[in-house]
Amino acid sequence: MNADDWLRTLTAELHQRRVAADAARHVVAEAATHLREGGGDPWVVFGPPQQYAGAVVESIGTAPGPRPGPVRLHAAGITKKYGRRTVLHDATLTVRAGQIAAVVGANGCGKSTFLRICAGLMSPDAGEVTVSGRLGYCPQSGGTADFLFADEHFVLVGAGQGVARGPARRAGRAAARQLGWEAGGDVQARHLSGGTRQKLNLTMSTLSAPDVLLLDEPYQGFDQGTYVNFWDQLSRLRDAGTAVVVVTHLLNQLDRVDIVLDLTPARETGWHAPGIQGGRQ
Amino acid sequence: MNRLVTVAEMTLRELLRRRGVLLLLLLMPLTFYLIRRDAYLGQSVRSLLLGVGWAVSTAALFATTAARELEPRLRLAGYRPHHLYLGRMLGLWVVGLVISVPFFLLPMVDGADLRYGGLAAALLCSVAVAAPFGMLIGALLPRELEGTLLLLTVVTVQMLIDPAGSGAKLTPFWSSREIATWTVDDTDQGYLSRGLLHGLVVTALLALGVAAVASIRLRRRRHLRHLPVG
Amino acid sequence: MDSDRRGQWLRGVLDICVLALLSEGESYGYQLAQALDAAGVGPIQGGTLYPVLLRLQKTGLVTAQWREGSAGPARKYYRLTDDGYAALRAGGSAWLTFVRPVNDIVTKGATR
Repeated sequence: MNADDWLRTLTAELHQRRVAADAARHVVAEAATHLREGGGDPWVVFGPPQQYAGAVVESIGTAPGPRPGPVRLHAAGITKKYGRRTVLHDATLTVRAGQIAAVVGANGCGKSTFLRICAGLMSPDAGEVTVSGRLGYCPQSGGTADFLFADEHFVLVGAGQGVARGPARRAGRAAARQLGWEAGGDVQARHLSGGTRQKLNLTMSTLSAPDVLLLDEPYQGFDQGTYVNFWDQLSRLRDAGTAVVVVTHLLNQLDRVDIVLDLTPARETGWHAPGIQGGRQ
Repeated sequence: MNRLVTVAEMTLRELLRRRGVLLLLLLMPLTFYLIRRDAYLGQSVRSLLLGVGWAVSTAALFATTAARELEPRLRLAGYRPHHLYLGRMLGLWVVGLVISVPFFLLPMVDGADLRYGGLAAALLCSVAVAAPFGMLIGALLPRELEGTLLLLTVVTVQMLIDPAGSGAKLTPFWSSREIATWTVDDTDQGYLSRGLLHGLVVTALLALGVAAVASIRLRRRRHLRHLPVG
Repeated sequence: MDSDRRGQWLRGVLDICVLALLSEGESYGYQLAQALDAAGVGPIQGGTLYPVLLRLQKTGLVTAQWREGSAGPARKYYRLTDDGYAALRAGGSAWLTFVRPVNDIVTKGATR
């Protein structure tokens, strides 16, 4: 493991231990500087990343995030068929305020469908969804208006909540900055790069400060730096009390997540296992 | 009210940035008028009106398909379905009215002798019908290509059908055709009143159709219960 | 030297040593480690030093500021607060009071 890997593992360990995102970043940066000045093997200088993260936590404590709060999203017995093909069978998920849930599974196993049902954009054949508070949804692609500027998107979404233009623009730009993007200016959405357009897509869904945020693999086209910012942003939202549901097929971030819902159906008999709510707490 | 106006404004902004659509809106009616200019005046005026109707319908179609992916998010953001379709219709009507002005002046500049009040009424009917017509097609057909083909078919039928025939009143732009007759020829007022009535009825029916499709597609689903924050 | 025992001793005094070094002026992590090594305390690893600095910062005995270095990366500079000076005086004199009799006993026994 070289220094970069060690630092990356340290970052993940700090996040998993719920160290505040900003404090974690300082700790990692300071360690990086120390290693750069003095050289040496991080395993010798600092010890294993798990151990150092533990020592840090003892020193500064964890983020004052709320203990998982009241239930914000409860989906029970969700079943959906397309003709003879059963896409979802009896899927269940409960997410509380201050938790991040990941919905995983192979391609085509109904992750997007499940999310759309939870968002109220599609009707299931059976099952119920209860949402407490405001709902935000970010589709996997699209979701933006080709010919409008980023600011105009913010105004449009803001007006739905009765937010005036100036504050809506400011809120949008601030949220965009969290993802490492300077919104504003006169660039039509269709002229933005794929990754930037996705940042706009994501920013629009967080703009109304929802209590439940449903994200359908929103990181298409993100570079590594933006991807890290994205998970930082999710942690921040989680700490602020939002219930977050992320559809993902990338399994390497599951240590930052409180609940995992695996929608992969059983293969042999074609019988579809009910969605299990597993995961770490 | 603010939500409705915001949607109308954004529809307008989008359209103004689509150069292709703008070109269409300006060139098509002009071309139709010029093609028939050597013929009898009534032909050229009717072509002009049909061109305006077709252009605005196409703009409405494109605006509707472009907004389709955005509408569910706007619902979640707090818009009701009527803000979305009424706002879009308003924006499209404004666009239609704005482009009607140069086409109102066109025959005037050309020295045509006709009842300009009638021309204005006919243009208004074309625009009024075209917006919800294009929106309805866009709402029912998934892709712009199919929608454009359907519009083309309707416009062709409109052009070829005998206005006095039995089926003619079923075509959407029959109203402006009737009024055009009163505008150009020295006929009785009946043409004007029939045309205006048809225009009003067709606009209302199409708008209701748009409302129905939007309300179904963007409806609050029964499986989802919303509770206040607790 | 027995590293376990050294570790135990360091755990007891490292924070006071750091406070003492910072009383001479502000400094950053790597510089402190080098100063401790040069003073003869021995090499202090980052994994030992930084948690101490974090704890001192959390208890308000030092404040920290990120600054661009003259050449090289940004560094986190620490300096003592008033509480830090007070803690240094109290802790320092307590240490000296503690260590004198220990030195006496051990000197007598080890030089026999």
